[in-house]
Amino acid sequence: MAKSNKAPVNRRGFLKGAAATAAAGAAALVADVPGVEAQPAGAGAGQPGGAAEQSGSAPPPSARQIERDAGNARPPLSVRAITRPGSDLMVQVLKDMGVEYVAANPGSSFEGLQESLINYGTPPNRMPELITALHEESAVTMAHGYGKAEGKPMAALLHGTIGIQHAAMSIYQAYYDRAPVLLLAGRDEGFIAAHTANDMAGMVRSFTKWDAQPRTLEESLVALQRAYNEAITPPNAPTLVVLDIELQKEEARGVSVPGYRPPQTTGIDSGQAREIARGLVEAQNPRIAVGRLRTPRGVLQAVELAELVGATTSTSATGGPMSFPQRHPLCGPGASATYDYTLGLEAPGAQVALNGPGLATLLSRDTTNIGFGGIAGRGVRGGSGGSGRGGRGGTGDVAGLVIQVDAEASLPFIIEEVKRQLTADKRHTIQDRSARHAEANQHARIEAITQAVESKRSGWDGSPVSTARIYAELWPLIMNEDWCLSSPSGFSGGHHAQLWDHNKPYSYLGGQGAGGMGYGAPASVGAALAARSRGRIVINVQTDGDLNYAPGVLWTAVHHKLPMLTVMHNNRAWHQELMFIQYMTGVRGRGADRGHIGCSLRDPYIDYARIAAGYGMAAEGPISDPAKLAAALKRGVDSVKRGEPYLIDVITQPR
Amino acid sequence: MKGRSRIVLVALVLAALVTPMVTRAQQPATAQERGRGGARGGGTGNAQPPTSPVTGNAVNGKTLFYNYSCYACHGFNGETGRAFVGNWSFNLATEANFVSFLRFRANVAPATPSTGMPNYAENTLSDRQAKDIYAYIRTFKSHAPELKDIPTLTQIVGAASKPYKP
Repeated sequence: MAKSNKAPVNRRGFLKGAAATAAAGAAALVADVPGVEAQPAGAGAGQPGGAAEQSGSAPPPSARQIERDAGNARPPLSVRAITRPGSDLMVQVLKDMGVEYVAANPGSSFEGLQESLINYGTPPNRMPELITALHEESAVTMAHGYGKAEGKPMAALLHGTIGIQHAAMSIYQAYYDRAPVLLLAGRDEGFIAAHTANDMAGMVRSFTKWDAQPRTLEESLVALQRAYNEAITPPNAPTLVVLDIELQKEEARGVSVPGYRPPQTTGIDSGQAREIARGLVEAQNPRIAVGRLRTPRGVLQAVELAELVGATTSTSATGGPMSFPQRHPLCGPGASATYDYTLGLEAPGAQVALNGPGLATLLSRDTTNIGFGGIAGRGVRGGSGGSGRGGRGGTGDVAGLVIQVDAEASLPFIIEEVKRQLTADKRHTIQDRSARHAEANQHARIEAITQAVESKRSGWDGSPVSTARIYAELWPLIMNEDWCLSSPSGFSGGHHAQLWDHNKPYSYLGGQGAGGMGYGAPASVGAALAARSRGRIVINVQTDGDLNYAPGVLWTAVHHKLPMLTVMHNNRAWHQELMFIQYMTGVRGRGADRGHIGCSLRDPYIDYARIAAGYGMAAEGPISDPAKLAAALKRGVDSVKRGEPYLIDVITQPR
Repeated sequence: MKGRSRIVLVALVLAALVTPMVTRAQQPATAQERGRGGARGGGTGNAQPPTSPVTGNAVNGKTLFYNYSCYACHGFNGETGRAFVGNWSFNLATEANFVSFLRFRANVAPATPSTGMPNYAENTLSDRQAKDIYAYIRTFKSHAPELKDIPTLTQIVGAASKPYKP
């Protein structure tokens, strides 16, 4: 670790001494500034050893002193010792890469960088904007949610050792979810010993994709760019740069910010692209199964390809982000479910499937052989975020050729080849076929939704409120808005999958990643950060157990004026576990009336509207009468459309 | 003779009732049964509730329905999760069927995840208590209006016909 030329400063000792010398220092500083009255050394009230103490009568502080102590007086420019701190350059790198937000809970190991984030640039604190997190786990999960919504990273800034450990679970989740997240951590050898480590990133190395602990400012700037690029190169995953406090604080001198170059992801080779294009163009009824792509651009390209060749598609949009628009006329089984050529884009079961690298390619980083379940073998997604057959029919179980290449990076080459091979006759045939598919898919959609609403009637007027009614009542209120369902729906019945139209890359952000709790609200805040500047609203159907891990994130939503509607799925339990324990009592034949112990949230019930109000969020509830639900949801949607987050506590059926 | 015939008839009926229950109970839960959320009332039961005699105390049964976590899987009204209102199965046809069903569930730990019906042994839930629960669930009524009477759902169906807008 390169250190600055300064003698190491013991900051604990420095702070202790600071109180004694602050007044003298301040006096010395202001004495240099014309028109500013200097105070005698030791004149501050209660300063040990000062003249006031010696005389036994402390004079009252002057108005100017009070202003200074309250932080209302800035030091004059002439006293700045560092005019171009290294952390300014770090922030410039983040700006160049388009990092919108940095979420952080404050920590002394990154105070230089934090000061640059809030003061460097014109205007300051924009691109990136510092987002105040109340817990590091929340900060990283915000970035997780943002990454899934936008397909690019925002940053989470973590305090050395303890902040990283607070964040560890959420890093793990983002890793499993293949979410692009840029992690920054401070490192300060000279302050609190327990907050530093020789290898800071080692604590999370097994579930990050890349990390660095640069020794110089130049290296730090390059590392930030590399970390960003690694995070968005498949497989997407969190990356971490540990930034030494001295590198943040020291004068940058002649160091310049290197130009940023986005990564080039390798796609399919031209011969394979030609073959796939031929298969699609020559087929009488081609089919494209679309799983989870990486970015909105990939989704647009998938649409372009399907439209060019008149292929019906399946989508995983009801299971997670970045897939084919569910209501696109070509999405569905089409006029005939007999397909003579099938292509999978990050989706299995096709004649030819393009699957990008999975997390197993990163196993070399698991040097301690922790061996997290599923990554090396079965049971975890490879390149696909879902089955690729979600929603509207799949490709059938075809055992075909799997090409290990990123589908999104390959799409431009396939599209180019298709355009080259299409003749006028072919285009005419494709146009006719597409029209037939569109009609059939529309019919299938109406039939599916007719069946779906029939099943949602059950318990419609019952109290507590059915989870189906929550999703059903929400849909008419948001169907004409630009919306994002940011919360996992697996515990809440998943009713949106049947009732709502998932047409945007961010319509539904899917599950937690690794099934960890404490995800919904912070991920929704991240999604709402993405939504705020894009005229979008975010819906968070929030399970109660999940919210209680770090509810302070509600304050973050209020503080930053985020368009996030939280509707509590309040079943007053960690309900999945309650059912497991109940089953276990049956297996053992004892205490079947005690299965709720340790899993339920009763005695007392938790009042989420009051919790939200405590954090400054507009809220109402609890609502257990279903007749009152629609009006409350309307108030909530209206609120978030104004940019004011809102919470509605709904007492629900368990599932 | 007449009385003996009735006894034989009752015995035959009971045997017919219990045998399939035991057989089913000894089988492991199906994959579908193990699935999260489970089926939502789409079974092969009767739409109308049974009319067989009830001897339990429904008021006490309400407390037991909660304390024994019946609501956890079946909802507070038997209409959500593993719904049975509107889908009254053979196991709910009579008080005796219900008690037998509770006792004969597979006594093995489920594969995770499972929402399979737990076993309720007699030492933890007495016959009297089971009958009280049965009396309570027999009071359940449907809270499902006709589709035409739910504007929200009819609006959703109508919206499905609108053209796609990227």
